[in-house]
Amino acid sequence: MMLLNESLPPMRKFLLLPVMIAVLSGLAACDTPPAEENLIDATWETIETQAQGSVVNFMMWQGSSPINDYINNYVVPEVKARYNIDLRISGGQGPEIVQLVMGEREAGVAKGQVDMVWINGETFFQLRNIQGLWGPFVEKLPNSRFINPEDPYLSIDFQQAVEGMECPWSISQFALIYDSARVAAPPRTLPELEAFVMANPGTFTVSNDFTGMTLLKSFLAELSGSPTGLDGPFDEAKYERLSAELWTILNRLKPYFWKEGKTFPKEHSVMDQMFASGELLISYGFGEGGIEDKVRNGLFPTSTRGYAWENGTILNANFFGITYNAPNKAGAMQVIDFMISPEAQLKKADPNGMDSNPVLDVSRLPEEWKAQYEAMPTRKYGPSMSELSVRSIQEPAAEYMIRLYDEFRTEVIEK
Amino acid sequence: MKNRRLHIGLLLFVLIGVLPFVSAFVYAVLYSVGLAGVVNDGFTLRFWAAVWNSGEFLRSFGYSAGIAGISVVVSVSAAMWLTLQFKRELQHRWLSFVIYLPLAIPGVVAAFFMVQLFAKSGLFSRFAYHLGWIAEAREFPDLINDPYALGIMLAFITIVTPFFVLLFLNVYQNERVAELTELAESLGANKKQVLWRVTLPILLRKTWTLIGLYFIFLLGSYEVPLILGQESPQMLSVLIIREIKQYDLSKISEGYVVAVIYTIFVSLAAVLLFYRKKSTTDAG
Repeated sequence: MMLLNESLPPMRKFLLLPVMIAVLSGLAACDTPPAEENLIDATWETIETQAQGSVVNFMMWQGSSPINDYINNYVVPEVKARYNIDLRISGGQGPEIVQLVMGEREAGVAKGQVDMVWINGETFFQLRNIQGLWGPFVEKLPNSRFINPEDPYLSIDFQQAVEGMECPWSISQFALIYDSARVAAPPRTLPELEAFVMANPGTFTVSNDFTGMTLLKSFLAELSGSPTGLDGPFDEAKYERLSAELWTILNRLKPYFWKEGKTFPKEHSVMDQMFASGELLISYGFGEGGIEDKVRNGLFPTSTRGYAWENGTILNANFFGITYNAPNKAGAMQVIDFMISPEAQLKKADPNGMDSNPVLDVSRLPEEWKAQYEAMPTRKYGPSMSELSVRSIQEPAAEYMIRLYDEFRTEVIEK
Repeated sequence: MKNRRLHIGLLLFVLIGVLPFVSAFVYAVLYSVGLAGVVNDGFTLRFWAAVWNSGEFLRSFGYSAGIAGISVVVSVSAAMWLTLQFKRELQHRWLSFVIYLPLAIPGVVAAFFMVQLFAKSGLFSRFAYHLGWIAEAREFPDLINDPYALGIMLAFITIVTPFFVLLFLNVYQNERVAELTELAESLGANKKQVLWRVTLPILLRKTWTLIGLYFIFLLGSYEVPLILGQESPQMLSVLIIREIKQYDLSKISEGYVVAVIYTIFVSLAAVLLFYRKKSTTDAG
């Protein structure tokens, strides 16, 4: 301030204040709304033209190096070369995306910070709740013709119809993993789990996050007596009955969990190292257990195996959404269309790369692509989705997840 | 001229320092009673009631205060001992480098170091394994995500102690404690009397506001307990962020309730600290 005062003539100092106030209040004010967009009714040619040379802001989870590598070293240069689009990546997953969109809604921001987001059913449910998504847009994408609209795993997300409000990108099944050199017969049912943790105390836990809750959903489905036991809209009475049973079982087993069940990992990611060091004998995760790159990088032993629960584990897809206030919806559509193209999906499936299952229906592909998809290299260590999917279950309604999250804390962690 | 400069300074302080804080606070209050937020629909006290009834806030507060209190007491004691014991050696370049190095380490990094060193799969556990002290990784004592928050306190103490060493050394020199010690000794005081009647009172009197502020700082710290803490109870900032980011959007307001209570407490504590400091300096 001293410097400012001494270096400016007296008149200027008075000008400075209104400028500062204007700048500060400008930060708080909303942008002016853009000209009325009719992209919903626009032809693909119009969208392509609009997308040319634009900037697309993409918010995604950046916690996996093979995924980052695929995005940064394949998708970003490709969309630049093909459409002259600058694809800018920012880090953020479920809660951050919801917070951002909610904040922008609350502040009435007309031009949001991000155009497209990578989400799963949990975030889709939340964003739909706050009208945070723009669409329907999926049918407009030329490459969406290769996606089977009848596939329940792609058209229903957490028992909510997708209706073109988000575009599937990958599909994977939740799987449990164990080291076959250490464990001969891993548990596949709740009674087997009980016997297992009693024989091997401290080697199993439930992460207090999306991944752990997905495991609990498999348990809940087992208690319901069938893989389809939780399908359909949320059923309060059924939930009360099954969850009471689940909490009783978990509390009974808790003393045999990791750290005697006094605490649980906040995030599943920390479990990888504990599994690698042998502290945990059982782990789990999406992507059929996500074993391939961890074995290749030497984190997991080559004797690591993935398997599904006897009553089934969750099979679900993850999606792209376009935010309700995306400044560049056309650009986002162009990028998403590229990411579901046969070429980009094949590249994404490379077991030595991102190793993630395509969402395309091979029978719908043109002949030359069909052949390439059929000749696709297979995984060396992890199971394929087709091996597991005989034991798969659909994501139950989002309310099951909300309640499990809440009550796992109050009924198990805090007990 | 001087008057005008003062006014501009004050205005800038209000614009940059006070206004954002007050607006955020008002927004949090509105959110906590359902008057802000897209999923809320009008005034309600049910979030306040829910927070009060769950008892989680009080547990978290007690837990945070305990951790912050123990960490500050241990850090201050350790720093005091180091200062008095090694005041001359601390002038040496290499020793001061070792002591002050943790000051340059951010909380997140310190927390990750702790995990790398003290987790059951960490460095010390591996040493213990190779030395044959433990047969399996899980036999290593619980220092990370443990029920007594040992990992959190260890991280806090590592970060905070060097700061107090630096502070006490400066006060020791500025207040000429060495000369005063000599004087007291020449007047017949023994070592114990010098320590308890001269050195400690001088050092603590000059620094207790900062010690109090550090307590508040640790009370609200986030990254270290996020990484090293357990799932329940959680320290205040971790609890607040968890509530605000939760899956059930209809309960986000509960996070703002905790944030509002916490802000009021910390503001009162800060005001009290400075008010009392002012009155003691006025009197002195």
